[in-house]
Amino acid sequence: MKIKKANAGALTNFEVLDFLRSRGAAKDPTRVIAPIAASEFKVYDYLVESAACNQTRESINELLEKCKKYDLAKAEILNIINIRPASPVEIDPIIEESEKRMGEGIEDLIEMVTTVLPPPPTQMNTEEEVVAGDEEIADGEQTATAMATEN
Amino acid sequence: MFYLSLIEHTLRLPPHLLDLPLNEAIKGELESLFLDKVIANLGLCISVYDIGSIDGGFVFPGDGASTYTVEFRLVMFRPFVGEIITAKLKESDANGLRLSLGFFDDIYIPIHLMPNPCHCEPNPEKKSQVIWIWDYQEQKFPIDGIDEIRFQVQSVSYPPIPVEQPKESKPFAPMVIMGSLDYDGLGPVSWW
Repeated sequence: MKIKKANAGALTNFEVLDFLRSRGAAKDPTRVIAPIAASEFKVYDYLVESAACNQTRESINELLEKCKKYDLAKAEILNIINIRPASPVEIDPIIEESEKRMGEGIEDLIEMVTTVLPPPPTQMNTEEEVVAGDEEIADGEQTATAMATEN
Repeated sequence: MFYLSLIEHTLRLPPHLLDLPLNEAIKGELESLFLDKVIANLGLCISVYDIGSIDGGFVFPGDGASTYTVEFRLVMFRPFVGEIITAKLKESDANGLRLSLGFFDDIYIPIHLMPNPCHCEPNPEKKSQVIWIWDYQEQKFPIDGIDEIRFQVQSVSYPPIPVEQPKESKPFAPMVIMGSLDYDGLGPVSWW
């Protein structure tokens, strides 16, 4: 066995998910019929629960275009596409020295990411909670009960 | 997380596959050879992406099967240092945490890479396991198995295959990922 090129291109989670779907992977019950090995199904299960499940090729191209002005490294853009950060604290481990390099731009970047990439199913629940909390900030008691019922 | 790797391999196609179209037979052989196996320094092979070229088809003297030289691309799982990955908690003991991705289980978070300061308490439900709790500004944040944990990859190592192993030790892990939780935004998703 000869390794001709160890790195012939990085793939985002979405591209791997798309590749598995094009071969016929889907959630049960067609599993037995599809020509996909059990180990590949485990990867499919993991990816379908991550932020990649709702993404489309167009949304990723749009994000790449808009990220150009922030001068991010390729690895940082890959991380952003795979994780879909929704707040500055999530951007912190992804972008090195984010405050020095971007300062105010972090808020713009996050807003752009949340508008361009669709939220994954698990993140959508927490975003609904945040919206409910903000709207009722005047009345502290109502905020507490809103969070309690959402939980 | 995933990369494409271009590999060339000389493949012997067993005669019982002669009735299948060549592409399918070769793809099947490659899958049984590489799928779900770790290649040193390349990572865990997830899938055969495509077949570039098939060469050869010679039958060597004394052999009943034909041999092909195939060039193909594999989807490899190989996280880079500094990548952020979300995983589920598998076990936690006094040495640290062990996380799982479903298809890959050997992700370890050693104690020195846990958020500082933290301490562990024995888990009332499972006797051999321990719950890690982060003490931050007089508040306690436990790492329980409920939600997913985000960690940053510190290093990926491929320990060499041991010649002999004592019977009771853990099964040999050809690829081990060390992760770190010691940064803002890392740890269970519910903390942030």
